[in-house]
Amino acid sequence: MNLLIVGNSAAGTAAIEAIRRHDGQSSIVQISDEPHSLYSRCLLSYYLAGTIPLDALQYRERDFHTTMRVQLHAGKRAVELDPSRQEVRCDDGKVYPFDKLLIATGSSAKLPENLPTGIEGICVLRTIDDVEMIRKKVKHARNAVVLGGGLIGMKAACALRECGLETKVVVRSNRVLSQMIDEEASQILIERLRQNGIDVLKETDVAGIRTRENALVGVRTDQGQDFPCELLIVAKGVHPNIELIQGTDIKKRWGIETNPHMQTSCGNIFAAGDVAETFDIATGEYAINALWTCAVQQGQIAGLNMIGRTTVYDGTVGMNSLDICNTPVISYGITSPKETSQYQMLVRDRRGSNVYKKIILEDHRIKGIILIGRIDNAGVLLSLLRRQADVSAFEDELLDDQFDFGRLVGHGDPSVIAQY
Amino acid sequence: MKRIFCRVEKCLGCKTCELACAIEHSESKRLVEAMQESVVPTRRIRVELVDDKGALTRHRTLALQCRYCENPVCVQACISGAIRRDEETGEVRINADTCVGCWSCIMVCPFGGLIRHEGIHRVVKCDHCPDRQTPACVEACPTHALVFTERDGTEPGSFLL
Repeated sequence: MNLLIVGNSAAGTAAIEAIRRHDGQSSIVQISDEPHSLYSRCLLSYYLAGTIPLDALQYRERDFHTTMRVQLHAGKRAVELDPSRQEVRCDDGKVYPFDKLLIATGSSAKLPENLPTGIEGICVLRTIDDVEMIRKKVKHARNAVVLGGGLIGMKAACALRECGLETKVVVRSNRVLSQMIDEEASQILIERLRQNGIDVLKETDVAGIRTRENALVGVRTDQGQDFPCELLIVAKGVHPNIELIQGTDIKKRWGIETNPHMQTSCGNIFAAGDVAETFDIATGEYAINALWTCAVQQGQIAGLNMIGRTTVYDGTVGMNSLDICNTPVISYGITSPKETSQYQMLVRDRRGSNVYKKIILEDHRIKGIILIGRIDNAGVLLSLLRRQADVSAFEDELLDDQFDFGRLVGHGDPSVIAQY
Repeated sequence: MKRIFCRVEKCLGCKTCELACAIEHSESKRLVEAMQESVVPTRRIRVELVDDKGALTRHRTLALQCRYCENPVCVQACISGAIRRDEETGEVRINADTCVGCWSCIMVCPFGGLIRHEGIHRVVKCDHCPDRQTPACVEACPTHALVFTERDGTEPGSFLL
């Protein structure tokens, strides 16, 4: 069988590993628009901060593609897909036929329309090339502004501070990590950031920039403040790279629609990772969860189904983990619902010691979790969310630091006992 | 592969295993010296309360560590490739040099088998004591509640019941 994979990151790599675990025969061809060999995007901020060297970005062995017998074509873009002829054409004119195709093209950083392009010092943090550009700039810059308070924005701000730059974060909402946590949790983190020399400007946007010889020298906010700034990192989220399916009948909404086999509406074409829409267990709706862990899981499922090993994906849960100035933060699912009436909130607030925990329940089922400071048994709670287990028998224990696997055994949960 | 199991009906919850584990994972591997080390040694096994029926004799406890899953979610979640499973031996190992302390593995492990080591800002977990024949916790367990064994046809969960 000819397997073709477009994209060379978490989902594509996980698919290759899953395929080769069972199938040494099929030929695997992989196309990637990045000229680099495999690396982990999530590590870029650590490389920027100087905590890890460049070669540590490679999260698999250097000879990964050789040992996995994958023909990798790096540095070329897949531009056209013909589902009926089962072919993908690349920007160099070459055509690749396939029996099964995996679209794992990922996502790209969103750029606000009001920011001019081609200005030195305005960057995103998405690829090795981006981070090398930022590193060059960091050497001579003194002030940085990060636009956006999401996961990437937070990681970028911490990294720039680590590099010794005066760093400000500009967020439009009233909190940081607005997709991940609630306002109370955000207050703890904003205070931690401030203690470490990072200012967060809430309910603010960048309204204009000042340049000298086409290089950034300052920003102006919509609140009328002017800051000197030689480096502006734009972290306003990502959008899926779905260009490849333009002009085909493959169904899409925000991303490429998939079924529980990670199959698109075209049976021999699969999608996984930031480009794919999957069932979200917490919300009960189909959505993109552009996250590393989800991409790996989806890639595995796609890979297995591509070689005929029927495997079902039970769905994604939006989840994030990060460490802000030595404060661990993990969250899952619905964390600050707009409509609160149907939810029940369990909260433990020990802000004095930077500990905050919250669980959002609907009908005795966990829909969302926020953990700040104490994360030890986070995955135990996730297992309850994933299974949508009825937790009414032990609701009052869920926020205890001692709520662990042992307690689930004690409550006689047969699905837990069977895992041991 | 051999794994560590805890026979709940024999576990006293005495935490001798926790101490033995922390000592084994210290620099000196001796209690008195270990306590003086600049990085405080951390245990990779945790005694967890299964149920609390009020009377001391009715407590049931479980000494729990990494379960060495066949398709480990921690490996899926690891952003740096620090956690890997050896497909031949089944061992799941953490490379301390490449762990960046992002806690993604803690986010997904349904057992709580990964432990945040604050002193080194890394994740640690049970490694089956590579320098020993029998893991330190198993050897130290005064009631032989802990066993290091192949599953040998026993039903999953049978050690817990």
